[in-house]
Amino acid sequence: MDFGILSVIIFLPMFVAFSLLLLPVSSKITRNIAFMTAIVILLLAGMVYYNFELTGYMQFREHHSWISSYGINYSLGIDGLSLIILMLIATLIPCAYLWLWDGRTKGYWVSMLLIQTGITGTLFSQDLILFYFFWEAMLLPVFMIIGMFGTGNRVFSTIKITVYTIMGSLFMLICILYLGVAFFYEFGSWSFALNDLIQITTLSRAEQIWLFAGFMLAFAIKIPLFPFHTWLLETYSNSPTGGVFLLSSIMAKLGVYGIVRFVMPLFPELYKEFAPYFVWIGIFGLLYFGIAALMQINIKKMFAYSSASHLGFIVTGIFSLNAYGMTGAAYLIIAHAMATGGLFLLIGKLEYDLGIKSILALGGIAKKAPLFTVFFAIMLLCIVGLPGTNGFVSEFLIILGTFGFSQSAGIVSALTVLVAASFMFWLFQRAILQDNGNDVSQMKDLNLREVLGMLPLIFLIIGMGVYPDWFFYKIEPTIQHYLIDILEIRT
Amino acid sequence: MSNFLLAWIVLIPFISSFIIGVMYLYSIKVARVPNFVFSLFGLSAPLLSFLLGFSFFLQMIGNDEIFLYKAYRWLEIDGYDIDMGFMADKLSIFMVLFITFVGWLIHIYASGYMKDDKGYGKFFFYFNFFLASMLLLVLGHGPIIMFMGWEGVGFSSYLLISYYYEDGENVKAGNKAFIANRVGDFGFIVAMVTMFYYAGSNGFDFLNLKESLLSVPVPVLTFIGFSLFVGAIGKSAQIPLFVWLPDAMAGPTPVSALIHAATMVTAGVYMVARFHFLYDLIPHVGLFIAYVGAISALFAAIIATKQTDIKKILAYSTMSQLGYMFIAVGLGGYSVGIFHVFTHAFFKALLFMGAGAVIVALHHEQNIFKMGGMKKKTPLVYFTMLIATLAISGIPPFAGFFSKDEILLTAFSSGEYLLWIIGVFTAILTAYYMFRLLFVVFYGKNYKEDKKLHFLPKSMTTPLVILAIGSILAGFIGIPELLGGENLIGSWLGNWKNSSLHVTHSTEIILMVINIFAALLGIFIAYKKFYMYDMKEVPIFTGIVWNKFYIDEIYDTLIVHKIKQLSIFISYKIDVHFIDKIVMGLSRGFIRSGHYIAKMQNANTRFYAFTMLIGISVISTYLIMVLR
Repeated sequence: MDFGILSVIIFLPMFVAFSLLLLPVSSKITRNIAFMTAIVILLLAGMVYYNFELTGYMQFREHHSWISSYGINYSLGIDGLSLIILMLIATLIPCAYLWLWDGRTKGYWVSMLLIQTGITGTLFSQDLILFYFFWEAMLLPVFMIIGMFGTGNRVFSTIKITVYTIMGSLFMLICILYLGVAFFYEFGSWSFALNDLIQITTLSRAEQIWLFAGFMLAFAIKIPLFPFHTWLLETYSNSPTGGVFLLSSIMAKLGVYGIVRFVMPLFPELYKEFAPYFVWIGIFGLLYFGIAALMQINIKKMFAYSSASHLGFIVTGIFSLNAYGMTGAAYLIIAHAMATGGLFLLIGKLEYDLGIKSILALGGIAKKAPLFTVFFAIMLLCIVGLPGTNGFVSEFLIILGTFGFSQSAGIVSALTVLVAASFMFWLFQRAILQDNGNDVSQMKDLNLREVLGMLPLIFLIIGMGVYPDWFFYKIEPTIQHYLIDILEIRT
Repeated sequence: MSNFLLAWIVLIPFISSFIIGVMYLYSIKVARVPNFVFSLFGLSAPLLSFLLGFSFFLQMIGNDEIFLYKAYRWLEIDGYDIDMGFMADKLSIFMVLFITFVGWLIHIYASGYMKDDKGYGKFFFYFNFFLASMLLLVLGHGPIIMFMGWEGVGFSSYLLISYYYEDGENVKAGNKAFIANRVGDFGFIVAMVTMFYYAGSNGFDFLNLKESLLSVPVPVLTFIGFSLFVGAIGKSAQIPLFVWLPDAMAGPTPVSALIHAATMVTAGVYMVARFHFLYDLIPHVGLFIAYVGAISALFAAIIATKQTDIKKILAYSTMSQLGYMFIAVGLGGYSVGIFHVFTHAFFKALLFMGAGAVIVALHHEQNIFKMGGMKKKTPLVYFTMLIATLAISGIPPFAGFFSKDEILLTAFSSGEYLLWIIGVFTAILTAYYMFRLLFVVFYGKNYKEDKKLHFLPKSMTTPLVILAIGSILAGFIGIPELLGGENLIGSWLGNWKNSSLHVTHSTEIILMVINIFAALLGIFIAYKKFYMYDMKEVPIFTGIVWNKFYIDEIYDTLIVHKIKQLSIFISYKIDVHFIDKIVMGLSRGFIRSGHYIAKMQNANTRFYAFTMLIGISVISTYLIMVLR
């Protein structure tokens, strides 16, 4: 791909967004163009996927000088892990656009496009300053979309998430600069490229621990890990559908991605040394958030906790230091993004039609909207991890990996089969199935456009559950590369 | 060569359920699809699977061939393959045959029972989906594939229990079933993962595990055996995870017949038999299993004596009979346990379907004390129910006699006399509560209303007759050698019994006579108390047995309520009032310190001069100290 396909994927949405902003077009034209942009990006991502070679190394590299006096470069590349997340984004976003079709203004679509640029940029960056740039750039449109189109106490929530995550990122920025300076002292030239920074040998153990902690803090807030999660509830609850969709299904996963992409190669020894703590923090989060979700009345808050619970499990997987756990975590990133993204879209519709977020005020939806219920059920089963969905494959692999890491952790992590099931089925009973005598006559069943938006997700959830091998082979070499070359673990 | 047909045994019901599901959605969204289209697909799938299964059965006669079909590589990590594979040996093909056959009969019955239901298509969609999962469970070539079916049947059971979903209670019962099953699944997964690490390196399927488990240390095997059995407890409704089964009767009656009597609940027994190579190595766990089974059998039988809901009596009786099966498989009598699974499938399905017929005839009345005199009104149902009741009570020559006799013989010959005593005592209770049901419903004089009985279609009565024949004949495949039989089932499934104790023929005869007397005693007591039962009002029961030993209430208080409290504590106390307080406190701290710092800029020249003075003195002191 000579024309810089990754750059096109990153900047096309931004270019479209700014053009739309400047041109006097209506919101209807905006949404059509936004949708078409998403489709074009899906096609481009498909090209990348098709041409991706089965190795664990960076491919599709692009390299341009940016701020050459400080060795800051515009440097892109993808490996197996970023590839599957790219495919995930490229598939999810057109589906989401089909769902967000009606009643959104121009600003909404522009923000969505800008978020997409931030996300893909974060995903491709191989230079830490560039990464930081996109990482923060991703946040601004989120700030706008929640602040302008959210519900409830939206201004407070949007300021809370922004300040909270920026605070975390600032620590990361300090660490990045520190690494850059250390590189300069050791090698006599400036560089912030990941491949250069991993060669630093002069850092003392104490320095390394501080830097490790700085990076981890930024990512832990984004994921969020316990106890950095309190921004989550209000943000999810008050976000508009598009915002919460992107936050839960993609942006939260970028925190995990950041750990694997940067923390692991920069501090491989510490990564291995602290792995037990993070495995247990992940499991603790799984149980803690799972139990907290049980008694939530606000449906979006319940899913916020549910999301955090699964992300804890993903973190357990990436720190399990073996192929099963890491592949499972990569798979769960995908599985969970689809299921939780789909669920937030469905709930968004519920909220849009009925204006209700409280589980107690719902009920009797199944009778009114059978297609809605079927899709809701399939997403729910994926979250619960029923065999036949990709949720099962990933949860099983993570349990396997965790058991390989430590038997006791493995056994406790198997509790995941109970956690999500207990609140999800309760929710399904109260909010969807049983007739509570509430007025839900405004609820409409899915129309053709919405069905088309949901079908790819359903198809992938089941396809990846029944025939996982076909989806695995592109990630496998990357995971092996992480384990053997970076962490130096022989299997 | 024709092994790929194994996959089709499972695939056919899956495909048919998918087609029915899509057609059902079409019928409610676009245009009505007539009922016979649904039943056409719904009924042909189990029949086709049965025929396919039968063709494998024929190929197996007279040899020990095991059919294996690997459909595709499910996944590959670290150079380790896990396949999607199917295996048919004598055990699984035996299960396939009766699952599809009894399943088919129940499908026919359901096509009559559900005739006026709006969700006719949905029902067959779920039913076929269940059947497919059950067949996957039975035919899976390794624990993972088996687990897929295992969870699948749990989920379809949830769907069918909460079939009438508009009433929250039904969905609640479904949730309860799913969660209780999941507690079991937790055990299954833990066992599977442990097995994977200790014995999976040569391939993670039953044939390889059989070899590789031999080299695993006994404590690990014990752990695996226990964890697996937790799975079986959940699925087969044994103590302490049985609470879901009585509530599961909220589903339509054919569901109770198919899932909660004949097939799904026996999956736990099947699993223990399937892992016989594991349990052979750890007889102490087997003994534990047998005791859990015995206690469950007794416990359920005691509760059943006081119940009034016809379906709940049968539910507890199912739990009790499953307990018998666990006695057998726990003591190593795998073929004996499977034999009872087989006979039980016939007479219990028949009992449920007969009960369903009575319930329909009486316009959905389930309290036996509001029934009566049904012998005259529905003679066919009466006769078939009588056969089933005799069978379950263990009266020769009906099916249940042979299998129950063998189970008790296994217990006795293994030297576990306590288990044997519990078994015999439970047999008395079984005969008692079953004949109590029979006498009250069919001879009682309580039902005096002259409401016209609901018509029972042929599709409902024909399966009753077929199953009644089955309940008479099913036992003959396992006639012990003592009575001149060949014990076909024992030789079919292989000589698994590992007990070295053998009893003399005279002992065997004495035991048999004791069993028959136990059954007769139970019948006699029931006769004395309930024959021609007449009562002005529906009796009101109280007491600990009627309240099912308050197990539900105990679980609610000790577990459910505590977890709910914990949830509220976490989400409202810790998160909102502690962690978020700190986070917000930090941010307010910044704002407040900003205010303080801002106060320094107060345009007061003397204050500025004073701070300059302090600054200069600090710096000069520092310089003096450093430069000196």
